[in-house]
Amino acid sequence: MEYILHIVIMILLYVILSQSLTITSGYSGLISLAHAGFYGIGAYTSAILSVNYGLPFLLTLPIAMLLSGFSAVLVSTIALRTVDDYFIIITLGIQVVAFSIMNNWMDLTNGPLGIPGIPAISILGFEFTSKISFLLLTLALTIFVFLILRNITKSPFGRILIALSEDEIFTKSLGKRVYQAKIASFTLGGMFAAIPGVLYAHYISYIDPTSFTIDESIFILSIVIIGGMRNLWGSAIAAAVLVILPEALRFLGMPSNIAANMRQIIYGLALVIMMFKYSKGFLSKNYVGQENK
Amino acid sequence: MEQLPQILINILYTAIIYFIIALSFYILYFSTKLLNIAHAAIITLSSYFFLSFYSAFNSLLPAFILSIASSTLSGLIIYKIVFYKLIKNNTPKWIVLIASLGVYIIFQNAISLIWGDDVKSIRFADVKVGHDFFGAYITDMQVIIILAGINFLILSLLFYRFSKIGKQMKAISSNLELSSIFGINQNRIFLIAFGLGSCVAAISGTLIAFENDLTPTFGFNLLLYGVVAMIIGGVGSLWGIVGGAFLLSIAQNIGAYYLDSKWMDAIAYIILILFLLWKPLGLSGKRLKKVEI
Repeated sequence: MEYILHIVIMILLYVILSQSLTITSGYSGLISLAHAGFYGIGAYTSAILSVNYGLPFLLTLPIAMLLSGFSAVLVSTIALRTVDDYFIIITLGIQVVAFSIMNNWMDLTNGPLGIPGIPAISILGFEFTSKISFLLLTLALTIFVFLILRNITKSPFGRILIALSEDEIFTKSLGKRVYQAKIASFTLGGMFAAIPGVLYAHYISYIDPTSFTIDESIFILSIVIIGGMRNLWGSAIAAAVLVILPEALRFLGMPSNIAANMRQIIYGLALVIMMFKYSKGFLSKNYVGQENK
Repeated sequence: MEQLPQILINILYTAIIYFIIALSFYILYFSTKLLNIAHAAIITLSSYFFLSFYSAFNSLLPAFILSIASSTLSGLIIYKIVFYKLIKNNTPKWIVLIASLGVYIIFQNAISLIWGDDVKSIRFADVKVGHDFFGAYITDMQVIIILAGINFLILSLLFYRFSKIGKQMKAISSNLELSSIFGINQNRIFLIAFGLGSCVAAISGTLIAFENDLTPTFGFNLLLYGVVAMIIGGVGSLWGIVGGAFLLSIAQNIGAYYLDSKWMDAIAYIILILFLLWKPLGLSGKRLKKVEI
């Protein structure tokens, strides 16, 4: 039972991660490989603040989100000097820099040793120590983030994001502020990515840089792509499938290290297949279909 | 600074390695204009092939030739299965990049399934200390790599200047439509570009494998350095790449001397970011892709 609860919690964390990236990469078309960096910023901010200064969860969460959002503004102003495939390379570079800081800045992050002993979340005296209570908290936050993101995507701002990813110059000619909208969507994605980071740090009670590598970024992006780019429910389902996949493979009797590799091979294949699908204009058709509903 | 000669040798050696990797990528990129991450898989694959062939035949030359031939073949197969169709469909560049990332993930995990995740190294029976060279040490293999790099530079300069295929690549690179009007077969040139690029990548991967330890991800890190060298050199010319490789190597070695070698990854990307901020055209001044309005 504990095991199933653990998997459900992990699924929910990845649902928030991938849905926050859906805004950035799906709606405004800024394919980012730096998302695990923001996830890590959230986790490290909360871990450092609560271990070293004893700040409560209700304070560390907004601080982590603000810090992550602030770094997202910085990152996007740099990365938006390029477009398209170069943008992906730059975000990849930023991810490597972020990992390098987490791994090497011994004084702040304790380097590869990680930060142990992160206390459990406590809100107004209630300690979320049992798995089931933590699951409910995570579920509440997931629904909260989902509702916000769904409202954003249905709002005029969401339509600007879709418009600029389809035709940037045309959107500009309508008097929309394309550059600001791009930065805003990148920042939103970064801010919401901090939430699962904070939750993860308190849940596992120990973090080290290996949870926030480039592979993690690729994994989150794969969830978004396999989920159908502009589809919040699709990302949620894809997250569930991809998190359960290695467990299912292990259940079938595969050793766990082979299962991990097999999962990556399967989502690598899925990425290639999805790209073939998108190359025939799947993306815009999908969007038209949604609008007609 | 009594280590000065050693630092100079190190700078030369790393610069040459970055140059060879960047060159192998540039051959591909120059005509196809694709940032092909799967190229990293070829680098890794070639060294693992060499490891297996060498332990099977126990002699250098056949193992070397076989590993290069099989890696080049894998590069061509990747092109034929994945990129050929994507290019034919006139897919946006970022889709091809993500597809290549998917291909890379598949290969990387296949390599760790077949050869294992542990660190492997190619070592001959006797470990040589290296030659004393003005108070610095340099190994045989490093000399061979440096000479190979210089040869690659001369050959590629001659290739693009005098050979018919090289000229056709230049034509395709500068204007795809016009070159097809003049009867240059785009598909054939792309195939040759993939073959040549994979071949150079395989040679460099095999050579580097003598000096570095093998892990399933080492090609990815190397390729990223090569891409950084190519971008900061300005993606236009071979001499620009030489400049970019040296600049990157100098910055990393000086950084390693004054800070710590663990910051080398971060330094590479910080240089890339600085270049994008203040000198977006790169060393050679040729235009890096940006939004053209």
